[in-house]
Amino acid sequence: MPKSSTDKRHFIIVAALIAISTVVLDWLLRTVLPLPVQASLEAMTVDWLIGLHLLLISFLFSLVVVFMLYGLFVFRKRDGDEEDGEHFHGHTTLEIAWTVIPLLLVLVFGFIAMNALADITRSESDEVTVQVTGFQWAWRFDYPEGFSSQELVLPVNRRVRLEMTATDVIHSFWVPEFRVKQDLVPGMTTTLRFTPVEVGEYKVRCAELCGLSHWSMLAPVRVVEEAEYRQWLQEKTAGLDPALVQGESASTE
Amino acid sequence: MSLLSLGIVRGLIGQLVGTAGGMALTMLIRLMLGLPAWKEEPVWVVGLILGGIGFLIGVGAVSDWFKWMKGIETPLHHGPPADKPAWTRYFGVDYNHKVIGIQYAVTGLVMLIIGGSFAVIFRTELARSGLQFLTANQFNSFLGMHGWAALFGIFISIGGMANYLVPLMLGAEDMAFPRLNAFAYWLNVPAIVMLLGAVYFGWDAGWTVYPPLSTKGPVGFQFLFYAVFFLGMSSILGSLNLLVTIFRMRPPGMSLFRMPIFCWAIVATSLIQLTATQLIGMSFLMLSVERVLGMGFFDPAKGGTPILFQHLFWFYSHPAVYVWVLPGLGIISEILPVFSRKPLFGYRWIALSSVAIALVGFLVWGHHMFVSGYSDYLRVPFMISTMLVAVPTGVKFFSWLGTIWGGKISFPTPMLFVLGAISVFLIGGLSGPILATVPTDLHLHDSYFVVGHFHATIFGGFVFPFFAAIYYWYPKITGRMYDERLGKLHFWIMTPGFWLQSIGQMSVGVMGMRRRIADYDPALGIEPGHILITIAGFAIAFSILLMIYNLFHSADVGELAGANPWRSRSPEWQIPSPVPEHSYASPITVVGEPYDYGLAGSTYIRMAPASAGHD
Ligand code: HEM
Ligand SMILES: [Cu+2]
Ligand SMILES: [Cu+2]
Repeated sequence: MPKSSTDKRHFIIVAALIAISTVVLDWLLRTVLPLPVQASLEAMTVDWLIGLHLLLISFLFSLVVVFMLYGLFVFRKRDGDEEDGEHFHGHTTLEIAWTVIPLLLVLVFGFIAMNALADITRSESDEVTVQVTGFQWAWRFDYPEGFSSQELVLPVNRRVRLEMTATDVIHSFWVPEFRVKQDLVPGMTTTLRFTPVEVGEYKVRCAELCGLSHWSMLAPVRVVEEAEYRQWLQEKTAGLDPALVQGESASTE
Repeated sequence: MSLLSLGIVRGLIGQLVGTAGGMALTMLIRLMLGLPAWKEEPVWVVGLILGGIGFLIGVGAVSDWFKWMKGIETPLHHGPPADKPAWTRYFGVDYNHKVIGIQYAVTGLVMLIIGGSFAVIFRTELARSGLQFLTANQFNSFLGMHGWAALFGIFISIGGMANYLVPLMLGAEDMAFPRLNAFAYWLNVPAIVMLLGAVYFGWDAGWTVYPPLSTKGPVGFQFLFYAVFFLGMSSILGSLNLLVTIFRMRPPGMSLFRMPIFCWAIVATSLIQLTATQLIGMSFLMLSVERVLGMGFFDPAKGGTPILFQHLFWFYSHPAVYVWVLPGLGIISEILPVFSRKPLFGYRWIALSSVAIALVGFLVWGHHMFVSGYSDYLRVPFMISTMLVAVPTGVKFFSWLGTIWGGKISFPTPMLFVLGAISVFLIGGLSGPILATVPTDLHLHDSYFVVGHFHATIFGGFVFPFFAAIYYWYPKITGRMYDERLGKLHFWIMTPGFWLQSIGQMSVGVMGMRRRIADYDPALGIEPGHILITIAGFAIAFSILLMIYNLFHSADVGELAGANPWRSRSPEWQIPSPVPEHSYASPITVVGEPYDYGLAGSTYIRMAPASAGHD
């Protein structure tokens, strides 16, 4: 084992260990941080970005920890050695390098994230719009066809726009399988968009502490085939006063 | 010696009398106005405020100032009180910064333990799905209490480190304003009493107390608001005192870049505390006033907006998170060179990175509000500014690596805790950018991932370094060594326990576990994770009990430490342990660099011959 702290061999060994550690860690992180089903288009973008982050985390964690453990081992004090270590104060080039490189990295990441954000929040002309109201401690979904529902039923592969508000305190709309989240605030309307791509049953889980029963403020979400969705709308509107029913055109325009 | 001769007893009586008086006064006024005497909120609020003042008068924290008003001179008293046992000085007003430092640190530890106990209770509840022994109401109250008690513990413990260490590191006899120092400490005690009252009366909106939830609900909220108000006042006065001390009382030769690095951390911390604390004081006052007088700052029905509160709250509370960690990072930088026997790598970069973190910290509050409903165009700027914090933070990590590299490293307990701190803070820091990235935060916000993130930053940035500091300066404070075997056991239980806890929290968060819920849906598949987190939590709690035992036990039977067991160059290690009443027998002069380990013949400070000293 080389003794001098500037010996190149140290750095070659460390670089190899970091490479191995990065790969192992990246695999480990993906295992211990299992994401829910990807039930929306947004989930794919978000998960891709999470994956990118996990890779970077694995590398940076390895960089620091491998360097540290290796240094601690190689430069540990031997019994009876009362000498001090080598005397150096710093290295300006290094300091500049590890200021500038992370700075660039931040800008690159910021740019990627900005584009991803624009993508997942984009609007489309053909959106299904539902009014969502949160209150202590339940959800109500008002459809433009003129009826209210306790469950949120959505057609698959259509862009959804939720227009949301709260009547009492702040709540937050989160379906983990969709990956997106938005607060509902009394006195204002907030908007959330996503595109469900997996038929199935999910739950909205209120994500903002809203008092006593916050923990149980859930509502069912069903993503169904377009045909089933139309049928459900028809059932719901069947008993309504026709004057109130704006018909299907309102929800598809 | 009677109980009444203890300042704290007189203070508590004063608080009781003040509270009762304030309540009676309010009821009297209400009667005179023709209103029914009892109305919970206003009566309590006036009681709380006058109670706090009553404590300060009772304990004697303002006595000297009253005497000055009457033209009476009050020379600073030195040493333990003449007619009482020496230990009593810790329970009353004392102006010596070392006494005040110990008062702060012990109070801080007690608050951390109280906060931790609440966590253990509701963590046990969360181990399995289903509500077992807490009601949802109790769960919510305990949760908020855990948060604020722990935060009190952190603020107060930081006051302990700063007060004890800064004057010693500067070779100064005391802080710039000793009376203000004592006053700032004693503000914390009535605040703690009010905080405990808040749990009794209940409050259920977490530590962030967002309205409208916090403008409804039990009167416990008011207790919390005034507790935080008094604590905040203490922060402001304490930081003012520290800044003046550092800028005005350095010895000859100690330029800013020759200070022990911990002092730089305290400069950065104090800048934040002095300038940002007002915001939380104001926002809590607005909540209080909204509740008592019905003003509508945050009430949409009256033209207010709930989001305004979040801006005000985070404009303070984000910089505050740097208050919690910068001193700890300073401790890491301080201790690492001693046990590596090498100079601190990149001293100036480390010093300035603290200031940079403090300044950038003022521009990032909006990252707590990505999904709050504020204007969309705010998201990207706050994302970029937040990620920028990673740059100066990275500089610290790399400089620490440079410090270790090429050293002669030994591993006593304080060094182990410093290394543990680096590993844990790394977990916390690396889980930050993924939250700062808006698209990924849309999933992670208000999930348990955030809980994992900030516990890792706080433990890595505060708790581990604080424990390192306790072990490291224990011989300086008590004159005796702690038990090394127990210390190492503490470390080897706590550190893996903590890794497990953080990773577990992040894991269940990603899977869909929400923050602040009394019970969860086992269908998410998160129950095994919760059991693991709970076990890890118990392990951590147990290891901390080991430390407490160690500290008490070793004070009696520990080996005598001598002046400088760590062979440190810092001024405080060049004087006897425990530190004498007047720390330095003679003034010191700085003649070299603080961390020149390995440079033959160099010294940091020189002491004038003892005869040249004062009294
Ligand atoms: C690289 C540095 C850091 C970054 C990029 C970062 C980023 C973030 C972000 C974006 C959030 C909001 C997450 C959300 O609610 O969705 C957050 C929460 C939090 N962070 Fe950090 N953070 C960093 C360091 C720290 C430090 C040093 C502390 C100090 C202890 C800290 C303490 C907290 C706390 C307490 C919360 C939760 C607040 C709450 O909502 O209750 N963070 N962090
Ligand atoms: Cu809720
Ligand atoms: Cu923040």
